[in-house]
Amino acid sequence: MKTLITFIISLILSFFVSKAQANSSLKANFKTGDPGITSIHKMTFGPEGILFIGDSNTAQIIAIDLSAHPKVDNSKVKLDQLDKLISDMMGTTIDQIQITDMVVNPENNNIYLSINHSSGVPILLRVVDNVLKQVPLDNVSHSKTALQNAVSEEAKDRRGRKLRKWAVADLKYTEGKILLSGLSNQEFASTFRSIDFPFSDKQASSSLEIYHAAHGKYETHAPIKTFIPTKINGDSHIVAGYTCTPLVVFPMNEIKPGKHHKGRTVAELGSGNSPVDMIEIENEGNRYLLIANSNRPLMKMDFKDLAAYKDSLTTPVTKKGAAEGVDYVNLPYVNVQQLDKLGDGFIIIQRESNGNLALKTGNSWWVK
Amino acid sequence: MFAQTSLEFIFNENQITISNSEVITENILVFKGEIPEDQLPVTTSILGKIVKKEKEIHFIPIVPFGWNQKYTVLYNHTITHFSLPVPENYEFLSVSKIYPTSSRLPSNLLKWYIRFSKPINTAHIYDHIKFVNASGDTLSRVVLRLENALISDNATLLTLWIEPGRQKRDLIPNKQLGPVFNNQENYSLIISKNIKDNKGVSMQKDFIHPFLITDTDRVKLAINTWEINSIEANSRGNLLIKCDEPIDYGSSLNNITILNSNDQEVTGTWDLLNQEKVIAFKPKEPWKKDSYEVHFDAGIEDLAGNNLYRLFDNELHTISDKEIPIESYKLEFIIK
Repeated sequence: MKTLITFIISLILSFFVSKAQANSSLKANFKTGDPGITSIHKMTFGPEGILFIGDSNTAQIIAIDLSAHPKVDNSKVKLDQLDKLISDMMGTTIDQIQITDMVVNPENNNIYLSINHSSGVPILLRVVDNVLKQVPLDNVSHSKTALQNAVSEEAKDRRGRKLRKWAVADLKYTEGKILLSGLSNQEFASTFRSIDFPFSDKQASSSLEIYHAAHGKYETHAPIKTFIPTKINGDSHIVAGYTCTPLVVFPMNEIKPGKHHKGRTVAELGSGNSPVDMIEIENEGNRYLLIANSNRPLMKMDFKDLAAYKDSLTTPVTKKGAAEGVDYVNLPYVNVQQLDKLGDGFIIIQRESNGNLALKTGNSWWVK
Repeated sequence: MFAQTSLEFIFNENQITISNSEVITENILVFKGEIPEDQLPVTTSILGKIVKKEKEIHFIPIVPFGWNQKYTVLYNHTITHFSLPVPENYEFLSVSKIYPTSSRLPSNLLKWYIRFSKPINTAHIYDHIKFVNASGDTLSRVVLRLENALISDNATLLTLWIEPGRQKRDLIPNKQLGPVFNNQENYSLIISKNIKDNKGVSMQKDFIHPFLITDTDRVKLAINTWEINSIEANSRGNLLIKCDEPIDYGSSLNNITILNSNDQEVTGTWDLLNQEKVIAFKPKEPWKKDSYEVHFDAGIEDLAGNNLYRLFDNELHTISDKEIPIESYKLEFIIK
């Protein structure tokens, strides 16, 4: 009898879930099956529990529906020796795995980690009650699109590009579009793409090259390492962190396909450093930009200062390692390897001074 | 209390098979390492699928079992251990080719391409690569360390960017640290034997590639100085394009096309010879009497990142706002 009741409840629930999915215009062309993910290099959440995965190996973006995962409270999450834990779960050694990204679904606070293993098997893990669980990727509701080679298409190039490799550096979703930055192994260029979502057969992707003039008279062509789409003074902008570490702002409405764009450099975050991740946090009416770095602590910048800064840094910073431009404060978190928003606070993967790799929440006091 | 006897196990890298007609439990737990019995309850087990067949039960790990790695299996109240020794005839990882091949390189060299004999472990790849000077000191900040290294789909070709911020004039790293290499000094690229293949087995010895740094190259590639050999009709002779300097491996080979007078592509295979100073093309079919055009992509670079269209560290005022050069780069030849 109990089994029968469970079955009936499941049937009713599945009807509503199916109906909800069918009603979603974003998931209208999703299908269930194996999306053929071969690597997970970067991830980001869009609306309705859709996770976007940047798969550099197959040069595609895969959208998978993870809305079925229930809302959780991860406010006290703490996982120590994360690299050892994951390598033990995979029966391998730490040097054969790479934690490529960590993202939080803002709608239900589920935390996901992507792992690449030397065998080429991509793994997606979810934190459930402070324990890591695998999210199977071989039978999921999904949609995907290939990253088109916009350069060769525009040049009407009929040559093959077998050696060409384009690695996704970052991707974000905003207003019906997936934005991507990356670097190819052929030309040192800052390519920036925009892909409509839902994906369609006639998907229009654009390839933009962006340079800035913070370093004197030579263009940099440096790749964008991490970025966020955001609003500054009410208008849509991209705030981008470059490899050697200018923070650059681009108005969205000025970015046109096939053009060079000169961004406004608003800060230098210290040479010898590279931004790793960037998030925006809104808390009690205040908005902050948090930037994780390879060789500097976690930085906090107030959007009010960013909006008020009208200048553009156009001369090289002469004092070694100095920072200039919009003010920021260093938060007491060094060696932050992954960063994302969790509720009105943040979550990090940090290599602590004792060598422990920890997944833990940051103290939200810092962003109040 | 667990028994210490061996069951009917068969191990290979992809699965554990247990042939046992008296299956009591369907659960198999597998652990990395040789785990003592009392530690099993507090040890993380390996993720995997359990597949039950008529008289067999299989455990398929989430990733293949590694060579020389010890494992513990807990099944039906019995524990056992196993490891998979590296096969005797195992072909160990090696570096099969490196580009550029020349031992004399410009000081503003931009890229290396390393071809491995088999797929490599891509995690933490930069930890296994270093450059040393003639004194044996390791250079710092040489390679641009990307979160996702540029490795070909089959994981055998690795592209390394020499820190462009130091190679390009006037950028902060260039001004503060100077270029990576100094003219007329000797260096070596060393790939540590600790680098592993995708099965977790290391190379057997370090790979060492010595080279001498020469003058900076700040001249665009100029195809009008390149020479094409003469070819006989009805032959399958190599078309050889002699360049005036070595060209970049990654940007060149798949970015050149030969068209006949009907605008049809001539199919064949491309190669770089003579330390990348000669582009060679072997046609699939014998050459026919015709006039041909060799089209070059504007993005083909020399070793310093200067391409057919522009210099790597162009001055800003010389740059157009157009991303893609529309100029055609081609050479013509006739087979009589």
